[in-house]
Amino acid sequence: MTPTLEPWEVFRQEREGEPMRHGGSVMAPDAELAAHYAREMFGRRQESVRLWVVRRSDVIDIDDADLLQPPLDRSFKKPGGYVMRDKLAAAREASGQPKPKARSG
Amino acid sequence: MTDPLALEPILAPPERSRPAFNEERPHDERFALFEAHVVAGGKVEPTDWMPDEYRNAVLRFVEMHANSELMGVLPEREWLMRAPTLRRKLALTAKVQDEVGHAQLLYRVAEDLGKTREAMYDDLLAGNTKFHNVFHYPTRGWADVGLIAWLVDAAAIVAQQALRDSSYAPYARTMRKICWEESVHIMHGRDVVVTMATGTATQQAAIQDALDRWWGPLMQMHGPRSPRDKDRDIHWRIKAKTSEELRQEFLTIYVPRIREIGLVIPDPELRWDAEAGVWDYAEPDWAELRTVVTNHGPMSQQRLEFRRISREETRWVREAVLGVPDAA
Amino acid sequence: MTAAAPAGPALEALLCSMADDEFVIGSSDSEWTGIAPVLEEDVAMSSLAQDEIGHAAALYGLLAGLTGRDADALAYDRPPDDYRHARLLDHGRGDWAMTIARRYLYETADAVRLDALVGGSWSPLADLVGKLRREERYHRMHVEAWLERLAGAGGESRDRLETALRSLAPDAATVFTPLPDEPELVRAGVLEAPMPALEGRWRETVEPVLRALDLPAPAPGAAPPDGREGHGEAFRWLWGEFTSVRAADPGATW
Repeated sequence: MTPTLEPWEVFRQEREGEPMRHGGSVMAPDAELAAHYAREMFGRRQESVRLWVVRRSDVIDIDDADLLQPPLDRSFKKPGGYVMRDKLAAAREASGQPKPKARSG
Repeated sequence: MTDPLALEPILAPPERSRPAFNEERPHDERFALFEAHVVAGGKVEPTDWMPDEYRNAVLRFVEMHANSELMGVLPEREWLMRAPTLRRKLALTAKVQDEVGHAQLLYRVAEDLGKTREAMYDDLLAGNTKFHNVFHYPTRGWADVGLIAWLVDAAAIVAQQALRDSSYAPYARTMRKICWEESVHIMHGRDVVVTMATGTATQQAAIQDALDRWWGPLMQMHGPRSPRDKDRDIHWRIKAKTSEELRQEFLTIYVPRIREIGLVIPDPELRWDAEAGVWDYAEPDWAELRTVVTNHGPMSQQRLEFRRISREETRWVREAVLGVPDAA
Repeated sequence: MTAAAPAGPALEALLCSMADDEFVIGSSDSEWTGIAPVLEEDVAMSSLAQDEIGHAAALYGLLAGLTGRDADALAYDRPPDDYRHARLLDHGRGDWAMTIARRYLYETADAVRLDALVGGSWSPLADLVGKLRREERYHRMHVEAWLERLAGAGGESRDRLETALRSLAPDAATVFTPLPDEPELVRAGVLEAPMPALEGRWRETVEPVLRALDLPAPAPGAAPPDGREGHGEAFRWLWGEFTSVRAADPGATW
């Protein structure tokens, strides 16, 4: 069986606990050499603590704007959709209570 | 698939607008929308629709860069065997390895634009595509090796840093990795040069001689001045700075560092014009640049021939084990 | 100041032989930088070569501690006949098959040697060997992957590999050339067993692998007593190269 070169995507983790980030790709005829080359291109100077290597043809690429950036309002699912400044000001006026000190949450 | 959240944000959070590249629209409309997207700072990925003008411009740009990394290995690799200490041997081997790695990264970007690596090698060896002027010159001694690791890589990094926000996103991402790796090369080169500049009389003379020979090619490296508004690569935001801007930046950073160690820059006209805020310098020899990049430089043919031979010697490995369908 | 070392001259001879082995194979392997079969493999081979030079530097460093000479002087400033690397490594870079064949024979031998040193009584060496073994695992992964692929591809690829192994066969075991005063090393607990015993262990691992791939095995008969001497033209050329810059300005700092 004649081997064929194909692209393999490489994801790397820079430090423990961090997400896997796409680093780039290598051309290889099989998984064993792909893994070796991934280490060379993205890990030869101890810059990664973990690597994922996957055949490009196994990656599902989704960039359809209708799916990922559909046009209708979705502010009810995002923090920016809940602006209560005026309501809280009115509530404080009615209750006579001061605004609490700023803290997260 | 790239995780956009993992990248440094280039555009403000308000949603990236993705123009609708519907197939029903006529080409002229799609072209105009694409152009507006790019000119406004939008990014392009390999799977996006792009007009031929853009695709070809990016490919040409990236291919020349890839070729330069590949050919740039040759002036230095003959000195790997001759490095005078264990640490220098390690540093130089790692540097040359990085250049090969950069070639890999860049050829991969170009491959994903639709041209095979073998076709690119064929074009390089046939003289149809070019590589940067500095890699057409001989390295005469260890002093050259230090000097080019410092100043050629420095001139390259000035250009590469300005490419980190290229509209073609895979290229921009590659530039960030390359800049990070190149910064180590510059330190290695500078260390070799400073050591020699403060060393024996022979070493000092060798370093000055190397600078005398390399200054001309360095000044030519970023290319002749060209007006910003006529530059298509700037229009498409493939690159952001003009040749002159890059050259001025290189001079601003490196002239003081070269003089700091007692080296004399072989250009009596080189001076900082404080009023204009620019460096004046003797006009680089643009005829020399043209001659050299069209493969008539002192080492052009020899190095291309060396590449031809080594490619042939390893053809059997690719065919048997790696499975590259050789184009030629 | 290095910890008091057992078996003085014998230990120096051991360190010198190991350092020279790594230095010479690292130099040969680094020749592929820029011209390997594909770019990804170019980067890979260069890492292996850098590891070897790094291992050589560490071993010369230990030797420097014992002899009072510095590591670079040990690596560079000897006449060619004073180098003590195995004759296996005198064979030049050759083609890709030759490099893989030489690396296979060397890496497997080095693995056996390192296993016999890792529990040794002189801790600076035992500690270093512990680190080397971890790095060498990666080397063996690479060379075994290539040995299988070159053999499995048949045709010209297999022919070149067989030719390479046959030409290396007479020198294959020279990594196990008995060292001067070797019994001292074993008595002092630095080396677990003498070289001939280690050679036996090595043959037990490589012969089945090569047989299974239908490849020529190392020539029978023990490593010759002069297996680390009498370096030929290929090494003399290498020596000329790696000494050229240094020799042009002796005493200079680089």
